Amino acid sequence: MKKVSISFTLNGNSVTAEVPETWTLLKTLREYFELTGAKEGCGVGECGACTVIMDGQAINSCLCPIPEVEGRSVDTIEGLAGEDGTLHPLQDAFLKNNGVQCGYCTSGMIMSSKALLDQKPDPTEEEIRTAIAGNFCRCTGYVQIVESVEMAAKELK
Amino acid sequence: MPDNLFVGKSIPRTIEADKVTGKAVYIDDLKRPGMLYGKILYSSHAHARIKSIDTSRAERLEGVRAVLTGRDIPDVRVGFLKDQTVLKRDVVRQYRDEVAAVAAIDPDIAAEAVRLIKVEYEQLPAVFDPYEAMKEGVPLVHEVDARGRPLKSNILPLPWKFKAGDIDQAREDSAFISKDRVSTTWVNQCCMGTSGCIAEFDQNNNLTLYDQTNVIFGHIGRITEYFEQIGLRGKKIRVVNPVVGGSFGTKLDTDIYEFIAIQLALKTRKPVKILFDREEEFFALPPRQPTVFTIEQGCDREGRLLFRHCEAVLDNGAYTSWGATTPSVMIMPMSSLYRVPNVYFKATCVYTNNIYAQAMRGYGNPQATFAVETSMDSLAEAAGIDPAEFRLINRNRPGDHTPMNLKITSCGLEECITAVKEKLDWDEKREEGRGVGMASLIHVAGGARVTKSDGHGIMIKLDEYGHVDVIESGTDQGQGSPTVISQIVAEALGVRPEDIFLTFGDTALALWDAGTHASRHTFMAGNAAIGACAKAKRQILEMAVEQIPKIIKRDFKRKKRKDPGFVEPDLDFTLIANPEDLDIRDRMIFPKKDPDHPYFKIPLTQVLRNGLHVGIGQSKVVVAEEFYDPPTEMLNWEMKGNLSMTYAFGTSGVEVEVDKETGEVKILKLVSAHDVGKAMNPTLLLGQIYGAAYTGVGYGLTEEIKVRNGRVMNPNFRDYQMLTAMDVVPIEPVIVEPMDEDGPFGAKGVGEPGLVPTAPAIANAVYNAIGVRITDLPITPEKVLKALKEKG
Amino acid sequence: MIDYDYLRPDNLEEALRLLKEYGPKAAIIAGGTDVMVKIRNTRKAPEVLVSIRGLNDLRYIDKAGDYRIGALTTHRMLEESDLVKTELSALYDGASKVGSVQVRNVATIGGNICNAAPSADTAGPLLVLDAVVFMEGPDGKRSVPITEFFTGTYRTVLKREEVLTEIRIPGEMEEFGSAYWKHSRRKAMNLPILGIAVSVKMDDQIISDVRIGLTVAAPTPVRAYKAEDFLKGRPLSDEALSEAGRIAASTECCSLRDSLRGEAWYRAEIIETYVPRMARLAAERISKRRSK
Ligand SMILES: Cc1cc2nc3c(=O)[nH]c(=O)nc-3n(C[C@H](O)[C@H](O)[C@H](O)COP(=O)(O)OP(=O)(O)OC[C@H]3O[C@@H](n4cnc5c(N)ncnc54)[C@H](O)[C@@H]3O)c2cc1C
Ligand code: FES
Ligand code: FES
Repeated sequence: MKKVSISFTLNGNSVTAEVPETWTLLKTLREYFELTGAKEGCGVGECGACTVIMDGQAINSCLCPIPEVEGRSVDTIEGLAGEDGTLHPLQDAFLKNNGVQCGYCTSGMIMSSKALLDQKPDPTEEEIRTAIAGNFCRCTGYVQIVESVEMAAKELK
Repeated sequence: MPDNLFVGKSIPRTIEADKVTGKAVYIDDLKRPGMLYGKILYSSHAHARIKSIDTSRAERLEGVRAVLTGRDIPDVRVGFLKDQTVLKRDVVRQYRDEVAAVAAIDPDIAAEAVRLIKVEYEQLPAVFDPYEAMKEGVPLVHEVDARGRPLKSNILPLPWKFKAGDIDQAREDSAFISKDRVSTTWVNQCCMGTSGCIAEFDQNNNLTLYDQTNVIFGHIGRITEYFEQIGLRGKKIRVVNPVVGGSFGTKLDTDIYEFIAIQLALKTRKPVKILFDREEEFFALPPRQPTVFTIEQGCDREGRLLFRHCEAVLDNGAYTSWGATTPSVMIMPMSSLYRVPNVYFKATCVYTNNIYAQAMRGYGNPQATFAVETSMDSLAEAAGIDPAEFRLINRNRPGDHTPMNLKITSCGLEECITAVKEKLDWDEKREEGRGVGMASLIHVAGGARVTKSDGHGIMIKLDEYGHVDVIESGTDQGQGSPTVISQIVAEALGVRPEDIFLTFGDTALALWDAGTHASRHTFMAGNAAIGACAKAKRQILEMAVEQIPKIIKRDFKRKKRKDPGFVEPDLDFTLIANPEDLDIRDRMIFPKKDPDHPYFKIPLTQVLRNGLHVGIGQSKVVVAEEFYDPPTEMLNWEMKGNLSMTYAFGTSGVEVEVDKETGEVKILKLVSAHDVGKAMNPTLLLGQIYGAAYTGVGYGLTEEIKVRNGRVMNPNFRDYQMLTAMDVVPIEPVIVEPMDEDGPFGAKGVGEPGLVPTAPAIANAVYNAIGVRITDLPITPEKVLKALKEKG
Repeated sequence: MIDYDYLRPDNLEEALRLLKEYGPKAAIIAGGTDVMVKIRNTRKAPEVLVSIRGLNDLRYIDKAGDYRIGALTTHRMLEESDLVKTELSALYDGASKVGSVQVRNVATIGGNICNAAPSADTAGPLLVLDAVVFMEGPDGKRSVPITEFFTGTYRTVLKREEVLTEIRIPGEMEEFGSAYWKHSRRKAMNLPILGIAVSVKMDDQIISDVRIGLTVAAPTPVRAYKAEDFLKGRPLSDEALSEAGRIAASTECCSLRDSLRGEAWYRAEIIETYVPRMARLAAERISKRRSK
């Protein structure tokens, strides 16, 4: 299988991946960079567990062919906390407000929420729910996730 | 007693910070050196004879390390009734039958190899409807039983029957009687993390199984038994649990893929990982099974229930896993939800060529409660009594002994029903198309003695820095246990939650546990933790009695050396003469009689360090363990017995609006009132209630695995209608805290209850709104509209 | 094994050249939300994927007389455009309901109609907005009205070597109010059980012109012409709308079928219910806009 060399910005650092051309961004993150925060809950865009932010927009990394990442900027859950380990307000809010249970959906949930807050620092509940509608969660019933995002929005202001 | 520092507080889930940073390691993320990837070939028929299997092309594919069929491994029977084998040799009985398996260096290669395997089948007649399957002359799903004896019928040899009192007499005595037929369908647990495991053998053929399970010790028994039959007698097994991406009942049994991973690992001598994709999770994992109930109840003129008579038929699918034991749990609501003296319940499990079933959150309870609570509304109507009032009349009360011999200790059902009435403005007159309904539940909340031991073990050790290792024999599938257990240990031991390091799910380290299921973990682990902490504390305080005087005297000596004028204070050492005189709180040891004593109040770490580094032959460490097995009873042959230390009660109330033109049901409000004993961590508790209620709404309105002629037609999130964040359900939780005397700090289990009464509450509200009763779940717009049209 | 070459031309000429060069071996990928799913589910891929995501010139929404929407415009861009929301409301309704934010961020309107699923959420709206589809291929440019674009389930008039470049909506549609209803069991992440789009032009209380588009009601998205004919010139009354709904739901306008997602009789009910509801919403929208 033909390999390609793809250069992009990953969590703020310039990186190059040498991977088969048919890989997705998700597979590249998990297998090549060993960043396993993004999960494959379905592989076909239906669950949101693989959500990352590309050029400021939340996307399903499982549907993103790796060649499309050339020259772009990708942010994953691993890049959210500060270098000293300080949690991002979203991460903190998810812990404080029980926005996380089993945690499997959490990386994606937080990345969808981050993309929202970056664009709309003061979202309504409806806007939050819209932003995470593509992220399934079986554990929480979403209530405390929405509250966590609201809490983080306040914190970020 | 001073206030609790941690228990009862909404302590954040900081201990689980790995889950919000992408660091938590799930089975998806775990790799072992040299690991191979396994994939399974499933049957392409619901019932067929395997004529031939050609694996040659798969074997030739580069990167493939092993291809196995039923002919390559011992034909050993596994499962609850030993009614299946790992890879099927001759006959497939359902679409998910495992026919062959591949191990390869890469998951894509393994998948490709599976595609290259050619199987020739000869189709056999199949049967898909359980009622049809019970008839004579229909195709048999199994020709013989586990011991090779011929079978005559598709009915499972598991006659679930419960009888109490005299039904006939009670029927005669009844002033009002109602009769309903209700049914529930297949639903998938929908763990966001799919199933998976890694099987790895060492040189001596001892197995380590990294496994996404919530019953780590359950595997040991089943795999040991399997080993005995495949020539690995005496080999040791260790089950290690990564972080579990949801469980909801899926991981109670040892599934076939786990045996396959073991076989592939044996064959290749390499670690082999099998990880389901979402499609497999939907069609090759046993879901909650469909059940049809015929239920009859009667009451007297005052509305007191006199009897309940119910017969259930369960579509068991082609094989037997824990799904077939759900009637044992159904007996609980059937016999003990509300006071009812005369009860008859019979459940028949029937083999069909459909997918087979497992446990799901609530076990058989949501199904049975749907039947009971639908019937409660019918009977209330027949008797002309308001449904809420009718439930209050018949409510369970503290001190009750139910026909099943459940001993009700604490019971907040009255408060729950009343709260729901109030929050819904129950008696209010409503607009056309709107209505309210309620349903209640009883569930085990203090363990569940379904196996002879209902034990749970915990081990605690402290190092000289005051760090506490807690080795928990349960698993963490998101229920919040790491946080709650650390709260309990911090409280009981006198340390802080952040001092605690928890290890879950490793059979090599932990004591035994019956499993993290049946809403039992907080109750069992909590009690075990309290026991272990008491022992550890005793050791610390004994150490303190020895060490504190020494520490003080040493300190005085030092002071004197520095300041010759220092006068030693006159201290009353009797204050700390015995361990009983001391206590620990917030990392400090102090005399109970004088908690702020300027000399005797000493940091815990100081005592621990002095106790360890004390001199030759006297050094001590603090380590304690507790194996808590509650004094409960196993169900006897009559299916009676007090199998739990305590029971949870709760009531769901729903207000709905029905669009009469489209049949759509909108939930305007859902009140979820629960008797939880005591809220250990209110925020986490709400999470359990919200999550369970949401799944309950899905069960009531949208979710169903569509199985047509044995095949799952919607094995994906697109067509399996689990609710999204946009499907807003305004949930109002109500917490009732009667403080349970047997619960840790008064708590009861709450993992499952929120799900149980939601669907019947919705059905009752729909009836109240539009006067038609939907008796088969889910309550789809199509069914509502059809019923409205039929009503005219 | 899944194997393909992934080519990323950065202009239309180059894309057309590659498509010509590889002929039947090649397929276009835009946002990839249909293409990638299909590859994964079937475990089959074309030999060459020609990605047109780099054709940034095809990403626009504007109004210069006609409304012009570039083929690579994402559903998210449509959803966030005030112009679309106020003047092409049905398209807003459709685009904003596609999948999730993550999907809408990459999925394109061009991909949606080229994929030609009977359930495509922008198809109904485009039908009632009189959209015209522009294509470019080795033989030059051409255009067809959207009503002629779909030739069957997952089939269109598009030739293998052609790229859909633009969707144009006549400026006259400004006079119409429009609305689209996606009927599904949950509120997001769903394909419609049925889609109903309506656009109306009002002359006081009289419906002077109307379009009704239905999706999942036939092998392709369809216009309910008979129902439209009936409504034209009638008042926006319950009786007239109900009758239009009945006609739209009949075999004169569609060929409903039972499927996993819904039964034919239920689909008919939904058409009967939502043709009136959407007509009213469309009328309300245009009158609101007028009064501004
Ligand atoms: C999770 C999920 C949810 C979804 N939900 C919905 C939904 O609610 N409603 C809905 O309608 N759809 C839905 N879809 C389907 C899909 O997102 C849409 O059809 C989308 O608009 C396709 O656009 P794309 O750019 O991703 O197309 P691609 O996948 O890139 O292409 C689709 C097809 O169109 C062809 N094509 C694309 N662009 C052009 C062009 N310019 N010229 C010629 N041919 C072209 C491709 O060759 C391919 O055959 C969903 C998909 C997913 C994965
Ligand atoms: S894995 Fe990408 S959406 Fe599910
Ligand atoms: S926390 Fe478990 S799926 Fe969301």
